[in-house]
Amino acid sequence: MKGWRGLAAGAAALAVAVSGCGTSTSSGGNTETKEITVWLMDGSAAPTLTDALNKEFESANGIKVKYEVQKWTGIQEKLTTALASSTPPDVIELGNTQTASFADQGTLADLTADSGQFNGGEWLGGLKDSLTLNGKQYGVPFYAANRTVIYRTDLLQAAGVTAPPTSRAEWIDAINKLKAANASNPDFQALYLPGQSWYFLLSLIWDEGGDIAKQDGGKWTGTLDTPQAKAGFEAYKAIYDASATKKVPADIDEAKPQQMEVFGTGNVGMMVGLPWELAGAVKAKPELTEKTSAFPIPSKKAGSSAPVFLGGSNLAIPTASKNAAAAKKYLSLLSSKKYQDLLAEGGAVPGTSKDTAKLATNAVGKALAASSPNGKVTPVTPKWAAVEAGQNPLKDALTAYLTGAKSLDQATKDASEAITKAMA
Amino acid sequence: MTAVETTETAAPAGDIPPALPPAVTGGAHKRRRRGSAFDRALPYLLLAPALIAILWLIGWPVVSVFVTSFRQLNLGELVRGEVVWTGIDNYVTVLQDERFWEVSLRTIVFTVSVVVASVSVGLGIALLMRVLTPWVRIALQIAMLCAWAMPILASTTVYQWMFDQNYGILNKTLVQLGFDSFAGYSWFSSGTSTLSVVGLLIIWQAIPFLAFSLYAGLVGIPRDLYEAAGIDGATGWQTFRAVTWPEIRSLLMMVTFLSTLWDFKVFAQIWVFREGGPSGESTTLPVLQYLEGIAKSHFGVAAAISVLMMVILGLITFQYLRKLLQTEEGKL
Repeated sequence: MKGWRGLAAGAAALAVAVSGCGTSTSSGGNTETKEITVWLMDGSAAPTLTDALNKEFESANGIKVKYEVQKWTGIQEKLTTALASSTPPDVIELGNTQTASFADQGTLADLTADSGQFNGGEWLGGLKDSLTLNGKQYGVPFYAANRTVIYRTDLLQAAGVTAPPTSRAEWIDAINKLKAANASNPDFQALYLPGQSWYFLLSLIWDEGGDIAKQDGGKWTGTLDTPQAKAGFEAYKAIYDASATKKVPADIDEAKPQQMEVFGTGNVGMMVGLPWELAGAVKAKPELTEKTSAFPIPSKKAGSSAPVFLGGSNLAIPTASKNAAAAKKYLSLLSSKKYQDLLAEGGAVPGTSKDTAKLATNAVGKALAASSPNGKVTPVTPKWAAVEAGQNPLKDALTAYLTGAKSLDQATKDASEAITKAMA
Repeated sequence: MTAVETTETAAPAGDIPPALPPAVTGGAHKRRRRGSAFDRALPYLLLAPALIAILWLIGWPVVSVFVTSFRQLNLGELVRGEVVWTGIDNYVTVLQDERFWEVSLRTIVFTVSVVVASVSVGLGIALLMRVLTPWVRIALQIAMLCAWAMPILASTTVYQWMFDQNYGILNKTLVQLGFDSFAGYSWFSSGTSTLSVVGLLIIWQAIPFLAFSLYAGLVGIPRDLYEAAGIDGATGWQTFRAVTWPEIRSLLMMVTFLSTLWDFKVFAQIWVFREGGPSGESTTLPVLQYLEGIAKSHFGVAAAISVLMMVILGLITFQYLRKLLQTEEGKL
């Protein structure tokens, strides 16, 4: 048995070497825990929160915290190699859409019995579902957030848009006005919208009454080729075409380059983004603080907001962690009210506290709170991760349709088939 | 070196080489004769640790990949240390997938075009270096060294920006030259076009090594052969065919072989450009292997793809490997 494990590790090492990736190894392995390794994601929790948290944990338990921030891009692959190693990190953050597949593979510790010490009674429903598999809980909800339209108040005012748009038509109208008012700047983008912003596409598809896939007797089938989903694609194209004179390329997503960096250049009027992306832009350019606000993504039906993808994260302890007891203490501290309030203050819906009073104190938080009841998620199944990892059919369909490489019918048909195949 | 030579010459003749003073070598020679079994084994014993280490480092992963390809090894099995044998299921899965054949064909076409292009340009530059004046040659060599020293990902990023749709220097230059249709032109709109740009980058990265290796071979050809050819009134092409070609043929074959190995398994550049897109049209075998293995955590299937890659590579380089083995045997 031991030999095979070595063999497997060898295979993984080879795979890693071939792919040119590196894994960071962590120290530890002593019976007495001296240090735990914590991986949180870029933009999840503000440094003020994590600094205070790590300090309190270190002084209370005498255990050092090796705190590392990971990037979202390529995290699935990085977690795979990390979880397969003999010294994985002790606390990890997982996207809510990834959790089911990692739990299904038995890589995450079952925390059902411990939920009491993680404030189990106040868990956020949407996140709790995402980490529950066959009635067992494989993590602790961290936070949730959804996309809103982040905009520059000064630029919109200058263009004569006085109130935030409340329907899709009004929104496109506002984009056009903004474009006209800044026609002298050739690099100006009224709306920064890359061609592969697929979470935003989900909003539009859901708004039109379509969906990504449907389940029938345990079998998932892609439904992007339905008239409703196609209408979502058409709406995306209409907004994309209106967005700017010099459009963002159709074959990049919102992470390459980070759209918050582009927003920070000052040549952008609006972007569809998460609260932490605005925080990043403001951090790079503090003078934007007073000039930015947000509104929920408008629905095609006037007066209401479009459904949004409920993004979020869960915290989990890898099965192979040698410091599980200390990791549980860490999670217990993080799920206490003090730190949950700090999360809400930072602009996220806290995962283990129902108190969101701190959230609605700023414009972005208000927009977030207004649209989060309308939150939807990607299919809850361990199979979904295979769709998102690597080459995402939704992104491919968007690029092919927007560049004209494929007709709408062809692009959506291909994407639907790819999803059906990946989830089989 | 001296010791080996002494043994070789001394053993069959049983005599001391005349050039060496008998007082010094005689004693040593006798002692060697006495412990001859140990002495003959000694070089191999000294080599053994390095040999074992190399076999472990190179041989073990190959065996491991081969064994893994017959197992169902997803993330769960890997973490739990389970062994689930599935026979040839992984191979059936891979070979039944029409995408595998499409990708294999694309990989072969890509590899062959990149190798042919890079070796011919490398040879061209090597021939050019022979006729250049020293100063120009040194400048060229320094330029190539710089290109060679550049990290792969750094040069890939530079290429990405050069070919960028909105801000790339290439599109801007083309527009300046009057080709207005290139304003906002996307070089990555199809798989062929994406792979052409990636191929150009790989050729650019490969040329310095090829040019230097081939130039080293060319420098070794005696000048008087060219003078003789000149006296006989040979044209440039005739000189190349009759004098240069025979001398560098084996070297050229070797660098072609190495280039084939390298270009076949190119991953980083292709992945960084468009992750095998658009719509998977620039996906080659290494990318497919990465998608299966790392992205989807199906390590068994990925291992099967690896083994099939080795088979394909073996078929492509079959002629060369056969020649290589024959010459080695001839020498032995």
